[in-house]
Amino acid sequence: MAKAVRASAEQKLEENNRRWGMVIDLDRCTGCQACVVACHAENNVPVVGEHEATRGHSMHWIRIERYWEGEYPNVKARFMPVLCQHCGEAPCEPVCPVFATYHTPEGLNAQVYNRCIGTRFCGAACPYKVRAFNWFRPDFPEPLDQQLNPDVSVRQRGIIEKCSFCVQRIRRVELDAAASGREVEDGEVQPACVQSCPPSALIFGDLNDPESEASQFSRSRRAFRLLDFLGTDPAVVYLKGGETNV
Amino acid sequence: MSDHEPMAGDSVLPERQSELSQEYRERLLLAQRTDAEINAAVLQPMMETGPKFWITVAILVAIILWGLYAWGYMIYWGMGTAGINNPVYWGLFIATFIFWVGISHAGTMISAVLRIFKADWRRPITRGAEAMTAFALLMAGLYPFIHLGRVWKFYWMLPYPNNRFMWPNFQSPLMWDMVAIFTYLIGSSLYLYLALIPDLAMARDHSVGWRYKLYRTFALGWRGTEGEWHKLHRALNIFSVIIIPVFLSVHSIVAWDFAVTIQPRWHSSILAPYFIMGAVYSGLAALATILVIVRKSMRLQEFLRREHFDALGKLVMVAGLGWIYFWFAGFIVEWYGNDPVIRELIHDEITGKLAPLFWLQMTANVLPVIFLTFHKIRTNLKWLLGLTLLINVGMYTERVLIVVGNLQRNYLPFDWGTYKPTWVEISIVAMTFAGFILLYTLFSRIVPYVPVWEIKEGRLRYSLRRIGRLLVPTAAEID
Amino acid sequence: MEDTMNLMGLFHDGNETAQVIDSLYELGMVDRQIIVMTGVPYPERSLGRHVEWLRLPNIVLAGALVGFILGLFLAVITPHLYRLDIGGHPTVGFPPAAVITFVFTMMAAIVSTFVGVLWEMNFPEFSPKYYDNRVTDGYLAVLVEHDPSEESLVRKIFEAHGCDFIQRPERRPL
Repeated sequence: MAKAVRASAEQKLEENNRRWGMVIDLDRCTGCQACVVACHAENNVPVVGEHEATRGHSMHWIRIERYWEGEYPNVKARFMPVLCQHCGEAPCEPVCPVFATYHTPEGLNAQVYNRCIGTRFCGAACPYKVRAFNWFRPDFPEPLDQQLNPDVSVRQRGIIEKCSFCVQRIRRVELDAAASGREVEDGEVQPACVQSCPPSALIFGDLNDPESEASQFSRSRRAFRLLDFLGTDPAVVYLKGGETNV
Repeated sequence: MSDHEPMAGDSVLPERQSELSQEYRERLLLAQRTDAEINAAVLQPMMETGPKFWITVAILVAIILWGLYAWGYMIYWGMGTAGINNPVYWGLFIATFIFWVGISHAGTMISAVLRIFKADWRRPITRGAEAMTAFALLMAGLYPFIHLGRVWKFYWMLPYPNNRFMWPNFQSPLMWDMVAIFTYLIGSSLYLYLALIPDLAMARDHSVGWRYKLYRTFALGWRGTEGEWHKLHRALNIFSVIIIPVFLSVHSIVAWDFAVTIQPRWHSSILAPYFIMGAVYSGLAALATILVIVRKSMRLQEFLRREHFDALGKLVMVAGLGWIYFWFAGFIVEWYGNDPVIRELIHDEITGKLAPLFWLQMTANVLPVIFLTFHKIRTNLKWLLGLTLLINVGMYTERVLIVVGNLQRNYLPFDWGTYKPTWVEISIVAMTFAGFILLYTLFSRIVPYVPVWEIKEGRLRYSLRRIGRLLVPTAAEID
Repeated sequence: MEDTMNLMGLFHDGNETAQVIDSLYELGMVDRQIIVMTGVPYPERSLGRHVEWLRLPNIVLAGALVGFILGLFLAVITPHLYRLDIGGHPTVGFPPAAVITFVFTMMAAIVSTFVGVLWEMNFPEFSPKYYDNRVTDGYLAVLVEHDPSEESLVRKIFEAHGCDFIQRPERRPL
């Protein structure tokens, strides 16, 4: 039974010509960091502690970048969640000597944890610097070790990891849909960050499907991509410029 | 008693000795020495080891053991015990890696390039230079392992059929690194060994005990028949020609580790020639440092004379001029282009937090070039030692600035960071320096340091000839 | 092979040695009967000897070809064997393939030069051979394999050209 399900799921993959992508509405983001926490919880990302964070060893797969704009008293804080952009022409992929990172047919930049030998070339090559490295053995003090997600491996020291668009959730939805004999619906796949965002600033979907919500937002006149002059073709689209409180 | 009188042309007759000017009397290849005396001059320092030697070895072994402990500590606890972080993923390890690969270039420069140009002043220093290359590459080859997060899986970078259905990614510059450094290491080691065989035979003929057994094994039964010499010459000529593209490609590949990324200031087409020029500069300077020290510690004043240091100093100076040119050529286009991140990087380097290192680099690399233009300084060994040590301090700093400085600033200002090496990194770097010095010291005691057969060959070519009122050294165009 | 004898003469001068060899040729000796051993390489033709044709360049070329094919296989064939898409790049690109092919060609050329030269010299060879330690002290040794009847002629030639030592050599382990 499982074999038949998987075969048809892969079939659908090849037929669908999907490109998973995310839209982040900066006009809605409040910088609450719920997405960061949710990602840690969903993907077994260790918390490194204050001292290691000051040494630059934090391991957030998604981070909220905060920039200050303007002079007092007209200071404004701008929040920008930055995660792996799953670039169509990723500069991190060709440089890995062991093929630990490559591009899947559905547009994900995949990281294979058990293949990584930790050269960190991909980390140096990524212009967004979204790749996290396991500088130490992962530490999950009690009772955090009770809430590890069984769908996601716990990485060893010496391995690079990064946002995977919660590929385990994508696969689960695809398998469930294939088992029920239906298509994956738009909005059915929700990575942890998208699911937990209070103002719904994060939208996830198939950018190649012209009717999906993500795809429609990506065509908005407020849309831009981060560092697109580098030619990396990111799958994450940001929206900004429409707020009223300027 | 002079033997080996030159084949043609005027020869030096004893009664004409007083006409030799002071300069020519000091020339190695015109020296009135028998082959037996030369052999003894080379073999004697090898056999004698005083307490200073053993103390040096003990200190070096201690540093190496401490470094190994630090490496084991880092493997066990994780790379976080070093100072590397996000975004400075590469730090002192990669900088030292480039430094060692750079040092290795001088050996090929001297033994291969100068052999092809038939520059006779290379004769007493080729073996020392090639040994420097081989050992520097050994030390460099450690770093791709040291900086791996999961070093116990390093063999996944080796291309062999396996049941994981995966080959390594040959598009990655790290794979090119592995293959190129391995090739260069094999090439220079074999070159070193091949040119060593006749001298091992000479040592075999003059030693007893464990040394006799050792030399006998590695001399492979060399007798010096014409067939053997002919084949050796042919092989050395082929080696010289092959090793030159190899050494050019190795450092280009190391430069492409950086240049193929889109990191600002790394992504530059001039990085490869700039690295090569820097390598030749730092390698030749290191060679001069080593030769000054070895000459003193092994009493090789017979072989390493003023003419050699003069010529080497000139070569260092020329390499330095080349480095300055390539640095400026890279800098001017970056400065002029005004890319925002590059502008920030340049500012950081010249007037910001990295300024002390940058100005150290520039002073240490440029000042010696000016001083080395003077013959008196080139032949004053204390000055030469000081200047060449300074050059390598400057070049090491330059490597650190390239690797660390350019990772500290990125396109998104939120990702900017800093880097400070920890005791782990410093211990491991010190370990490779100690390892290099130890290998070199042991090498110089086990193997004849000076290639005497090449010197004897050179004396065959050299004679004094009278042109009008001048008595000049002449090199015969044989071989 | 008991009907030939060996005589070794040690000379200190290259000119004299060349004349000795000329005289030996006049006597009717052939190349393989004369072996010259020196501690210093004399230019190939300076002693009047035949320069043998070497197989070494061919060995090097063959080795380089093998390396070229290996490099080409690794760079161009293996990415197609187990296909993995790398964003923005074709499966096989010219620059990486060129680098890998070049380096493997060079590596094979280097190794085949070394192995080839050892093979041509028949090294390592530790069986007892005719030799004299004084060769590395600057003497040129001329080893002649001759008929017993020619011994006095050979000795005369040696002595006429300033031979320092004449001896009947023994095979000794090197």
